[in-house]
Amino acid sequence: MLKTVYWISTLCLTLIAGTAHASADLPSIQRGAHIAAEVCNGCHSLKYIKYKDLLSIGLTRDEVNTLRGEKSLGDPLKAQMAANDALALFNVVPPDLSLMAEAREGGPHYIVELLTGFAPGADGQTTNRVFPGIKMPDIFGIAQADPAARKEIEQKAIDVAAFLEWAADPQAEARKRMGRGVLIYVAILTALFYLLKKKIWRRLK
Amino acid sequence: MSKKIVAWIDQRFPLSAFVKHELTDYPTPRNLSYWWGFGFLAGFVLVIQLVTGVFLAMHYKADSNLAFDSIQHIMREVNYGWLIRYLHSTGASAFFIVIYTHMARTLYYGSYRRPRELLWWTGQLLLLLMMATAFMGYLLPWGQMSYWGATVITNLFSATPGFGEDIVVWLRGGFAVDDPTLTRFFSMHYLFPFIISAAVLIHLVALHTVRSSNPSGLNLADKDNIPFHPYYTIKDLFGLGIFLLGYFAIVFFKPDLFIDPANNVPANPMQTPADIVPEWYFLPFYAILRSVPDLAGGVVAMLVSVLIFAAMPYLDRSRITGGARYRPIYRTLFYVFVIDIFVLGYVGAHPPASLMKLTGQIATSIYFLTFLLLPFVSRWEEGRLLQSGKLPADVVDMARKEIEASHA
Ligand code: HEC
Repeated sequence: MLKTVYWISTLCLTLIAGTAHASADLPSIQRGAHIAAEVCNGCHSLKYIKYKDLLSIGLTRDEVNTLRGEKSLGDPLKAQMAANDALALFNVVPPDLSLMAEAREGGPHYIVELLTGFAPGADGQTTNRVFPGIKMPDIFGIAQADPAARKEIEQKAIDVAAFLEWAADPQAEARKRMGRGVLIYVAILTALFYLLKKKIWRRLK
Repeated sequence: MSKKIVAWIDQRFPLSAFVKHELTDYPTPRNLSYWWGFGFLAGFVLVIQLVTGVFLAMHYKADSNLAFDSIQHIMREVNYGWLIRYLHSTGASAFFIVIYTHMARTLYYGSYRRPRELLWWTGQLLLLLMMATAFMGYLLPWGQMSYWGATVITNLFSATPGFGEDIVVWLRGGFAVDDPTLTRFFSMHYLFPFIISAAVLIHLVALHTVRSSNPSGLNLADKDNIPFHPYYTIKDLFGLGIFLLGYFAIVFFKPDLFIDPANNVPANPMQTPADIVPEWYFLPFYAILRSVPDLAGGVVAMLVSVLIFAAMPYLDRSRITGGARYRPIYRTLFYVFVIDIFVLGYVGAHPPASLMKLTGQIATSIYFLTFLLLPFVSRWEEGRLLQSGKLPADVVDMARKEIEASHA
């Protein structure tokens, strides 16, 4: 039994250590927020994110004001292109991106692969490795980019994916912070229960 | 003061007598291992689900146009809404882990045997109620997997001879899963836990009538029984602590572990997902369903695979107590069965390509074979063991008594 206790607590501590290490890269998320609001928002909505939410990832009031233009702080990030226009243009309404980082197998990693997955096809048309036949154009123009530009584009894809990961789960940091406290509390409580159990059961001998 | 209050109550309601009879004096075998703690854990998870569920229902909107958004509202705007939701979504899986372990303990130690048949059957009823509740709850987030899972499962009822299609329409409240399905599933999902709570009470009454089984399988002498409180309250609390460590680790650090990515896409009746996979706790039964080429046959096989547990007191014809403990062949069957369930679960999670399909069919056959062979194997093993002279004397005594009783 003690062994089980030992293994489970080790597992928890490893988890805690692992997530403490992988805490979010704020500058990357902030750069990603700009790309999402300036580029992706042209076609995609991010309906569960409001402009004022961007303040919580450290964008300044001025930055947010520039991004929102005429819209108010409490407005969600709607797509600039109307759904009907998008449908006419692409034959599909571009999906909302707020949950995208949790809505595909692979999560943020999938988004990076998708955005950098465009390449020149055999017939001169651009294809996508990850999603053949995708109706989204090669937004960053990676299919035609030279190696230096490629590097830059890859970083952009990583940034926007980091932002979308935050957007899908804005509470993640708070959750893990709380989780660390909860696990330590329960671990101590469990140890006390164990000692108390030993003490009470000793009466039987 | 408190003594006075208790005395006042005792004149009008048997409070002290109840506590004495069911807790402080309730005799419990002193040799129970931690495997006996899972019943308490199941009760605890039921309470978690009830409490978090009631709070979720305050913010959730059972409307096909609003349901998906209302979950995101809970996740993002409601104070600690994310916590309540993750406790509930992880709680569902925790519930099945605990209950399946509880069942495995019963099977291993033969706790379903006479005189505990009713205890086992009320447990079987609880399992069915839980499955129905979980299935209906899974529709509520109104994601792609919610929608298509409900579509596939309700469609199974079309296999009913004669009026299958009518039943499907009746269940869904229309020709397809839609708003009426969502509202009725929500209503039932809120109702069922209270039925479950009532069934738990019945389960406990049955338990306190026949008392706990114990790993030795023997009827213990009085001196080997100890009061439930404080000995098992503290032992169960320690077990609860261990359980909570694992549960909270998932709730806080990997809450999407049991959430299919496709369920973060709103339900879309026009677009079928690449493969429709039920929740992990249904996978073995789903694999059995798909292993039978014919729909009606598959549905029957699946139903039987869940209900057959109820027959255990009759399928196991050995009168040697202690379940697998003294019976090597029964023990082997038990482990084969457990491994087989994992294989079925794996098969259920994957598209039925040729090799996967064959594996599923073999595993399904093994599943039913273990039950079908049991009556013969158990009786044969009983005779062999009684002759072998290797069993402890008290086990032999008890078996002989039971054999005589069954002749009388
Ligand atoms: C010119 C309009 C346009 C812009 C700008 C745009 N997208 Fe898209 N996007 C689309 C369309 C159209 C689809 C639907 C593709 C399909 O289903 O074939 C799509 C689909 C997607 C998908 C879903 C792919 C899948 O697996 O279904 C992701 C992820 C995505 N876009 C990310 C982005 C990101 C990130 C940006 C900003 C860097 C962006 N898009 C900018 C038009 C656009």
